[in-house]
Amino acid sequence: MRATEGADRGLGSGDAETSVALVGAPNAGKSALFGRLTAEYADVSNYPGTTVETTAAALGSLRLSDTPGVHGISSFSEAERVTRAAVLEADAVVNVVDATQLGRDLFVTLQLTDMGVPTVVALNMMDEAEADGVAIDVDALESALGVPVVPTVAVTGAGVDKLRDRLPEASAPESTPIDSYYDALPDGVDATRAEKTLLVEGDEPTARRVGVPGLATDGGDAPLAAVGEREAVYRERRTRVRSIVDDVERVAASERAPEERLGDLLLRPATGIPIALALLAAVFYVMGVVVAQRVVGYAEGVLFARYYTPAVEGVVAGLLPASGWAAPVEFLLVNDNLGLATVTVRYTLGVLLPLVVAFYLVIGTLEDAGVLPRLAVVTDRGLGRIGLSGRAVVPLIVGMGCVTMAVVSTRMVGSRRERLITTALLGLAIPCSAQIGVISGLLAELGVVWWGGYLAVLLGVLGTAGVALDRTLPGRRDALIEQLPRLRLPRPTNVARKTANRTAAFLGEAAPLFGATAAAVSTLDYVGALDAVVGALRPLTAALGLPASFGRVLVLGLIRRDFAAAGMTDLALSASQTFVGLVVVTLFVPCILTMAMVLRERGARSALLVWVGSWATAFAVGGGVAAVLEVIA
Amino acid sequence: MVVALSEVPSDERVELVDVPDDECRARLLRLGLLDGSVECRRRIRNGPVVVRRRGTEVALGRSLAREITVERAPRDGAPQ
Repeated sequence: MRATEGADRGLGSGDAETSVALVGAPNAGKSALFGRLTAEYADVSNYPGTTVETTAAALGSLRLSDTPGVHGISSFSEAERVTRAAVLEADAVVNVVDATQLGRDLFVTLQLTDMGVPTVVALNMMDEAEADGVAIDVDALESALGVPVVPTVAVTGAGVDKLRDRLPEASAPESTPIDSYYDALPDGVDATRAEKTLLVEGDEPTARRVGVPGLATDGGDAPLAAVGEREAVYRERRTRVRSIVDDVERVAASERAPEERLGDLLLRPATGIPIALALLAAVFYVMGVVVAQRVVGYAEGVLFARYYTPAVEGVVAGLLPASGWAAPVEFLLVNDNLGLATVTVRYTLGVLLPLVVAFYLVIGTLEDAGVLPRLAVVTDRGLGRIGLSGRAVVPLIVGMGCVTMAVVSTRMVGSRRERLITTALLGLAIPCSAQIGVISGLLAELGVVWWGGYLAVLLGVLGTAGVALDRTLPGRRDALIEQLPRLRLPRPTNVARKTANRTAAFLGEAAPLFGATAAAVSTLDYVGALDAVVGALRPLTAALGLPASFGRVLVLGLIRRDFAAAGMTDLALSASQTFVGLVVVTLFVPCILTMAMVLRERGARSALLVWVGSWATAFAVGGGVAAVLEVIA
Repeated sequence: MVVALSEVPSDERVELVDVPDDECRARLLRLGLLDGSVECRRRIRNGPVVVRRRGTEVALGRSLAREITVERAPRDGAPQ
């Protein structure tokens, strides 16, 4: 196959499943164009082995897949690796180029043609370019690139039919200036033109895959000696980009657009920080108050408590005989802690579904508006103190609404390392809104001094844990290089379509996982293992100066955090006991839904780290606070 | 005059002459930020620096901005 490079690619190959990938910079309009081109149900799934979301749908007889936005085909991040793999697998590529950012986006276009990937360019956002006073000679661009170029406005659908018509013309020039660099490769390298291009650019995954002798060594220190080549190749390509842009683009002097002034306000700390705080407060209000408390409260308290649960309990009692063998089955299905037919369904549909929809609506809107990277910039300085970059601000705020959804949102945080720190802090010290409700009730009875003390302890733990993880985890902090997209009004149809697709994909994956966890915990409960845990906790609760019944509270907390806090209202505790108890339940392990999500997103090792770390921190800090209170009193 | 990017005041034009980290240099090169002069749009105190070239705005983290050496435009007649 490799010997006939090029011949096996392209839309004429006539394979059963011909695939086309949509490739371009973030916010260049890929997902809007994807929606226009397919207009049908799309599958959202994780790219195998990663947490990077990909979307695919039928386009006539072809399969069109959306890829994560990138500024180049390489392996600098998980998203880039996914896009690189998608480009190497695809039969052809639709390269979405932002017409207002020609000088930036043509780098990817030339990289694709250098790689010999059959390409059609969708020159998108032509309306904005026009409004900016940018005129582009499309014919000249087409002949300079050597591939079809179709002007489009994805949000209105202009040019989309033409793009569909010209897809079969996807092509790449026979040769490009990259050819002269291939000489640097050792003789007899068995690679396609795409792979050769990535090899001279020093792409390590490609070197490992192709197995270049002398270039790739197994786990050696300097696997690719070609880093110097990469820079030369990139510089040469930029030179070509500049000369093409000079030839085809005319820019008339234009007024500063209003959204640019808004962008300015967001970046200036004096205005940006209040705007960021207001936005984050709005996110918290929607997620934490409206949805997590009111909508979920109604669903749980009315829909499920009054109608669904009694009905299901009746049905189960009626179906199963009262004899001995049926008792465990009935317990598994309808117990009050995690019954498979009652509580599990209630959590999935009454709690998780509204939160998931709200979360994707909020995030989709902020994404579409181009606000998220700017939030990251203004908060970078503060979060830098606890080993995180500004990108972690959204998960931390969403976490005060629902820690489970926050764990999902850690996907937008850059590196694996940073994601692990964010997840650990979320699991440890961020109380979710359900818990905040009960906790503030208890603290209000104690008075404002205790409130302040509670906040101080939590922030102290958050900071200490962040710094400790930053120091101890291998690897180093990622340098922040964040491209700021233009601010735009979010498009409701785009946001709604993404929300529907993502929600369906999320629940399809999360519900079975949660069901399995619930069945396992119910089994433990039935055989008495949970009571044994309460017993085993006795020395620990005693060390904190708390009654043995607090152990029962903690076991409830294993399942759901607000249960633990609520359970405390039933105990007769002194002020300092209540305070210690609240600190412990806040720092204690995340709820069972969150743990299921950590397991899915971060894997078993990270989940174990978060879980065990939460036990240890909760008791260590709780014990410390108890000791301090004893001295003061 | 050669200084670190983190020292450049807002609204000044500079050329990024040295980015020590290989990967960061490649990423900035791709975005076209090493093609000539860029505008230092905003410097957030102890925070990231936002630079711009032809409508492409990129925020560079504080620690990275400290490592990047820039050449300040000679026509700059800023008062001392």
